[in-house]
Amino acid sequence: MSLVALSELLGASVRDATGAVRGRVREIAVAPQDHPTRIAFLIIKTAAGECMLPPDAITSAGATVRAASDAANWERFAPSDGLLLLKRDLLDQQIIDIHGRKVVRVNDVELESTPVNSHLLISVVAVDVGARGAVRRLSKGIVPSFTLRALLERIPPRVIPWQFVDLLETDPARRVKLKIAYKGLAQLHPADIADIVEDLPPAERESVFETIDEEVAAEALEEIDPDIQVSIVESLDKDRVADIVEEMDPDAAADLLGELTEKDSDEILQEMEPNERQEVTQLLEFSEHTAAGRMTTEFIAVPETSVVDDAIEALKAFEGSAEAVATIYLTGPGQKLVGAVPLVKIAISSPAVQLSELSDPYRACARDTPQDEVAAIFDKYNLVTLAVVDEHGRLAGIITADDVIAMLRHKD
Amino acid sequence: MDGLKKWRARIVLLIAVIGPGFITANVDNDAGGIFTYSQAGAQFGYSLLWTMIPITIALVVVQEMASRMGAVTGKGLSDLIREEFGFRVTFWLMLALVATNFGNVVAEFAGVASSLELFGWSKYIVVPVSAAIVWALVVRGTYDSIEKVFLAASGFYVCYIVAGLLAHPDWKTAALATFSRPSATGIRNYGYLFMVIALVGTTIAPWMQFYLQASIVEKGITARQYAASRWDVILGCLFTDVVAWFIIVACAATLYASGHHDIGSAADAAQALRPLVGEYAYLLFAAGLFNASLFAASILPISTAYAVCEGLGFESGLDKKFHEAPVFYWLYTLLIVFGAGVLLVPRLPLVYVAVLSQVANGVVLPLVLIFMLMLTNDRELMGEHVNSRGFNIVAWTTVIVMTVLTILMVLTQR
Repeated sequence: MSLVALSELLGASVRDATGAVRGRVREIAVAPQDHPTRIAFLIIKTAAGECMLPPDAITSAGATVRAASDAANWERFAPSDGLLLLKRDLLDQQIIDIHGRKVVRVNDVELESTPVNSHLLISVVAVDVGARGAVRRLSKGIVPSFTLRALLERIPPRVIPWQFVDLLETDPARRVKLKIAYKGLAQLHPADIADIVEDLPPAERESVFETIDEEVAAEALEEIDPDIQVSIVESLDKDRVADIVEEMDPDAAADLLGELTEKDSDEILQEMEPNERQEVTQLLEFSEHTAAGRMTTEFIAVPETSVVDDAIEALKAFEGSAEAVATIYLTGPGQKLVGAVPLVKIAISSPAVQLSELSDPYRACARDTPQDEVAAIFDKYNLVTLAVVDEHGRLAGIITADDVIAMLRHKD
Repeated sequence: MDGLKKWRARIVLLIAVIGPGFITANVDNDAGGIFTYSQAGAQFGYSLLWTMIPITIALVVVQEMASRMGAVTGKGLSDLIREEFGFRVTFWLMLALVATNFGNVVAEFAGVASSLELFGWSKYIVVPVSAAIVWALVVRGTYDSIEKVFLAASGFYVCYIVAGLLAHPDWKTAALATFSRPSATGIRNYGYLFMVIALVGTTIAPWMQFYLQASIVEKGITARQYAASRWDVILGCLFTDVVAWFIIVACAATLYASGHHDIGSAADAAQALRPLVGEYAYLLFAAGLFNASLFAASILPISTAYAVCEGLGFESGLDKKFHEAPVFYWLYTLLIVFGAGVLLVPRLPLVYVAVLSQVANGVVLPLVLIFMLMLTNDRELMGEHVNSRGFNIVAWTTVIVMTVLTILMVLTQR
């Protein structure tokens, strides 16, 4: 078992069974359909054209590649969409480093060759994003390989194991063939996904949002800079956008649609499910800078006669964000707001206790309250959530502390 | 009514995308540019005004390619060079770019120093202070706010137009000289030819292409908004060359007419203008020089840091903290510290530095232009936005002429 760098193999001379040099390594191909990490074949540039040399016909791979077969038997190479070509698709390109949660550029690719029954198995093990790969490529062919190896040993490696690498490919058809699914990316925190996406060029942003799960996409989109949000949304299919927007917090969805042209936002609303559409449309009617513009309509409200157990049932059925459940609201006749119970009190009380007994003195503001005033109320009463009521005292929505923090940070 | 609405929508769109092209073209009129234009006017009067039209075309062609690449690919020029031409090429190109741009930074700070010396301020105070301002402006600001500062700085070039008006030039002769063919006898004169070369050479610098493409990307302009962005580039180039025209005219009407044919620097030009056109034109000229130098000094180091870090794969971006993008911030900081610091060395042969930076520009420029042409002709990269045949003819001609002239300039500087 030994490690060999892609840049060492590229350009290496290839000797066939007779020992004569028959060509040079031009590319290295992986066929993700067959095996995700194993090298399918080397592409050899010979006098007769480009040929394929699979690892099971190779006896050693390094500065010289030795083949077990005769050059005459090498198959001609025919380009195909489903191949990952390491030089073209990976070397010098940007990838997503899942572990380090950022976008990096590939300096070299580390391959591992394992001898099995007199031939080799070659696999991709890691990508090199540090100085080692850079120095190797700069000094290739200038510094003797023996000296170079000694020199490289002294440079601390910066590599990303292959399983933490997400490739970028903008062509959807090819992406499917290469089995690129942003699996690693989708498992990151939405805020980290947002940071990574902001660092990508527009076409790659679009391809990430086309591919990842709608719910993850929605949460990540909420965290992205508004200008970039708009450009992503404009580039995606309207029904895909609608699917993502449905999963967003209604207040974030309304903010986003408010940034789009009327035509685009109407088209997206048309594609949405009626319930979500109605919620978002209501929010869109208010200025972004008022309580109603900042509130979400996904909250938990139960009748004032309910007991703790009812509240727990309501919690189980709730599909909104985790921030919104910090307070359970109590409503009287005509949906009027009459009380508010912190989640903590529910957690520590027995199931049969009347919620009205647990109710705190609550705060509420009108829908047209300016956002600065909303922030002031949060500050003064140390709130986690604030109820927003309409002119009849009915509960219209709630504002959560995370919205206020976002609002204060993006004020200018 | 409908037509009016359409026009309004277009103007709104233009205002939204205006910035990168306008700023880049204007920075082109930096300390070196202003000096060359002043010299052209002082030595040859109106007779070099014909160069303004071909120079504008060349500038538009090259800048348009950079901004189109930025809008279509969403990637910076050094990113694209790295992805298409590999690590080794990028490494040496970036090294050359750093060397070139360092020379340019020194030249800009020299412009700051000499313009403020006209107001009687010592360079030992002025240079460190302006270096600190430049550093803080970029590190502490956001792209939006910096862009506004830069656009305002572009506006200050109006100084030169006013200075040109105050000089009471002969408008008819100037207009005729702009649209007439160059005279054959002039071309045979060595000094005249040298000045033509210098005028063209000062117009397109390698760093501009990296800066422009990066700011298009940073602004988030996409292929769809590109039509408006093209106007940004064209308007920027026009304004820049109108300013250049006024500088030549101002110097022609005064210095040339009164026999001051030799000026050693842009500050000399301002000094020489004083007795001829009075205090105001002198102040405007000096203030314009200060603005231009400080403006270019703000843009060059940051553009270099971006290009190098993107090309070589280091973390970059002003939204990162110092410890997250150390190479980016250090490169930026060192370019400013040394660029300004060099000027504080007593008895520094500034002329030699200026020559060296011109030579480095000249060596790097053809490479960058050829890379740009190869990239803009790559269908896999640009899709339907590849250069058209006609555009390619104009662009290659521009590149060849630019290259030949720049090589000639480098050789004649010896």
